[in-house]
Amino acid sequence: MTSLIRVEPRGHAGSWVRFGVPALALLFALALGGGILAIAGNNPFEAYRTMFDASLNGWSAMSRTLALATPLILTGLAAAVAFQMRVYNIGGEGQLYLGAIAASWVGLYLPETTPMVLMLGAMLIAGALAGAFWALLAAIPKAYFNADEIITTLMLNFVALSLMNYLIFGSQSFWRDPRRPVPGGKRLPENAILPSLSGRLHFGIIIAVVAAVVLWWILRRTSWGFQIRTIGDSPRAASYAGMSVKLKTLGVLAVSGALAAIAGVSEVSGVSKGLEPRAIATEIGFTGIIIAVVARSNPLGVVPVAVFLAAIATAGSRLQSIGIAVEVVFLLQGLIFLTVTAGEFFVSNRVRFERTAEAEQPGDSSPTTELPAGAT
Amino acid sequence: MTTEPIHLEVRSITKSFYGVAAIDSVDFDLRGGEIHGLLGENGAGKSTLCSVLSGLYRPDSGSVSIDGHELQFRSPQDAASAGIGMVYQHFRLVDSFTVAQNIVLGLRKGQRPKSIRQVETMVSDLADEYGLHVDPTAPIWQLSVGEQQRVEILKQLFRGAKILILDEPTAVLAPQETDRLFEAVETMVAKEHAVVLVSHKMAETMANTDRITVLQRGRNAGSVRTGDTGPADVARMMFGDAKAAERTTIAGPDEVGDPVLTLSNVSVLADKGMTAVDDVSLTVRRGEVVGIAGVAGNGQRELQEAIAGLRPTTSGTIDINGTDCTSTGPKGTMRAGLAYVPEDRLGVGLAPGLPLEHNIALKNHDRAPHSRKGILSTSSIEETTNRLVEDFDVRGNRKGMRVSLMSGGNLQKAILARELTEAHDVLLAAAPTRGLDMAAAAAVRTHIINERADDRGVLVFSEDLDEVIHMSDVVLVMFKGRIVGRFVRDEIDVDRIGLLMTGSQDEEAPADASEASIVLADRVDNERPAAETPPSTIAGAAS
Repeated sequence: MTSLIRVEPRGHAGSWVRFGVPALALLFALALGGGILAIAGNNPFEAYRTMFDASLNGWSAMSRTLALATPLILTGLAAAVAFQMRVYNIGGEGQLYLGAIAASWVGLYLPETTPMVLMLGAMLIAGALAGAFWALLAAIPKAYFNADEIITTLMLNFVALSLMNYLIFGSQSFWRDPRRPVPGGKRLPENAILPSLSGRLHFGIIIAVVAAVVLWWILRRTSWGFQIRTIGDSPRAASYAGMSVKLKTLGVLAVSGALAAIAGVSEVSGVSKGLEPRAIATEIGFTGIIIAVVARSNPLGVVPVAVFLAAIATAGSRLQSIGIAVEVVFLLQGLIFLTVTAGEFFVSNRVRFERTAEAEQPGDSSPTTELPAGAT
Repeated sequence: MTTEPIHLEVRSITKSFYGVAAIDSVDFDLRGGEIHGLLGENGAGKSTLCSVLSGLYRPDSGSVSIDGHELQFRSPQDAASAGIGMVYQHFRLVDSFTVAQNIVLGLRKGQRPKSIRQVETMVSDLADEYGLHVDPTAPIWQLSVGEQQRVEILKQLFRGAKILILDEPTAVLAPQETDRLFEAVETMVAKEHAVVLVSHKMAETMANTDRITVLQRGRNAGSVRTGDTGPADVARMMFGDAKAAERTTIAGPDEVGDPVLTLSNVSVLADKGMTAVDDVSLTVRRGEVVGIAGVAGNGQRELQEAIAGLRPTTSGTIDINGTDCTSTGPKGTMRAGLAYVPEDRLGVGLAPGLPLEHNIALKNHDRAPHSRKGILSTSSIEETTNRLVEDFDVRGNRKGMRVSLMSGGNLQKAILARELTEAHDVLLAAAPTRGLDMAAAAAVRTHIINERADDRGVLVFSEDLDEVIHMSDVVLVMFKGRIVGRFVRDEIDVDRIGLLMTGSQDEEAPADASEASIVLADRVDNERPAAETPPSTIAGAAS
């Protein structure tokens, strides 16, 4: 008599499964991380306590975390909306730079007397358009020549980075401040800076959260979102129903690019307050992809995942003060993503332990089409 | 009893999915030298039982024994070494490999001959022995469906299978190929093999089996000697009462109206750039069901897609209800009044990973009442879904559940519900009952035939010849992209249709066949009340 592990696909996961499994996965990762800390000679409880204090305990810690989370939410949404249609926009990073470039241009170009609301509105729109444009450079070949968007969006990141570096380091451009000895961007006027909410936390967080809710609503409650989700599930069913996959490819990548670019606007206007490549090029766009994966492309899931990720990053610097290497933070991040994505298996499958006369069951990865016929 | 060469006994096998028993305490008994029919509705548990026997699923309880030895199958390999081989309806062959390569695929070093030449010789010998002729050096992609099936059977025989389970083996075969299959099955049985024939087709099961076991809702409804019983008794075992087995009797059309779908000299390319549809012309009128018979892969799919606007035509015109839809795309054909039940239910007809509501609203989600100014009304979609679930008896749905978990019959009903409740003038239905149990298939056929009473036109494609003949007022035969024959109700000659389907028209029906068809068409036209409309042209037969 051995115990039998039986795996069956779940028809529909209840909400306790969908939220409980990732929560358990998180605890599991923390326990693993704690074990590693202990082996390395640290007190895991002290380490976690320090991390918690640094990132989540109290308003000032929380505001640091949320400030860091702001652009991550936006790039996470950018990746998530494209993933909904199974379009893989890896170009959030470059689209973010374009957003920063366009927004800072508007901020520096418009007169300083422009009312703040108009100024910030113009920067947002310009940034979003620039990001959408950058994404369309990959979307058009994808829609009309079936060029792989993973490659094109990824490559465009390097082009965008070179462009931004050129504007500040390689030329006397409009963006560069000629008076500074070390190359840097001109400082934006006060009316072009997103108002601070508390310390480093600025108005961008509100834009990000609103964007998440609006995006969720668009995906679930509009016919555009309906079509995006249909194409994501089955492009052939979508064509059959008369939906234009080409147009939606253009649309979804434009929206994705715009969202990533708004992260750039938020960074340039709320954090660096000028086009500062070193402050902006911090892989926020790439991190957004990971966030979207963990959040299962759900815009409402992107927010907590981004905040959580930001919290760990915020905690990292504090850990050093108690003699723990920053690498522990990356290790924890990696562990968490590993366990949470692995936990997905338990969301879509039911696993049972039973006692029978047999050992493990090899034939259970059988095609799901076999199951409904037997199940109904 | 020791003289019996092989004796498989299944004792009270139970297997559950999601806590629901797919088969419940099923007993089954099989002996070498018999053809054993396994009948049952969809979801009755046939495929689950076969999957247990072939080692794919492991039963929750119960036992399987061969010649008195109880066996535990941990994998299909275990079942294979016990002498059980399964031939699936959808073949498991590598297209670019040769027959011989496919046959030894998966065998370990010690289990197969060293050289492929040896395998080829062995396969040839085996093929001769059983009458399953196929060239062992030919790559799979060059073979017809019937030949591919022979490869699957040879594969199992090569592995020493004494028990062969054939899952819906005739579903994809033309009548002549079916006959050859059963000849081979007879040979196997004569050599003391046992053959399980899983089928939906009553006539074929009655004609070709020694015993029949009927499954009903996961339970064994009884095993009978075929000679001691009749179709009505078996149907009663399958459905519990005789009512569901009643066939819709169809009277011919009283009156045929204006054309709603007219194809003129339409040619279409296949995916690989070869001509799939070659100069096809046909007309479907109001109040008429036109059926297209043909073995799969003769251009039916491409023709369907062209009519639906999903595939461009290279020449010719497609007219739906007075609107030229040759190049309007799927949206245009929908607007012109085409309802389309595609061959591929999951993936084309439905988005498999999305819930039923989403799929019900797939085509009209962007119109009132489902949406206004681009904003969806979830309550309207939900109401419609609930109503259609009720009206079309769609079962097995739970809120939020992906549709791919529903059974084939319910999926088809869901598609029909969506297509038939939307305003339309012509219904294009492809393989509408494929894989459905008798009750579901009958329901689907009734829905389709009712279209005629509602003064709409129907163009139905099916590989099931009985079905085409049963439903259609006009039967067209498609072979190699051309319409090679046309028959009207009451003039239908099953043997000739079968021959035309397999392309052997020239041997059996000499040169005057095409003339005969044309004469037939003219005569039909004179009989019709709507004589002023152009006759349904027979493009292929004219050549």
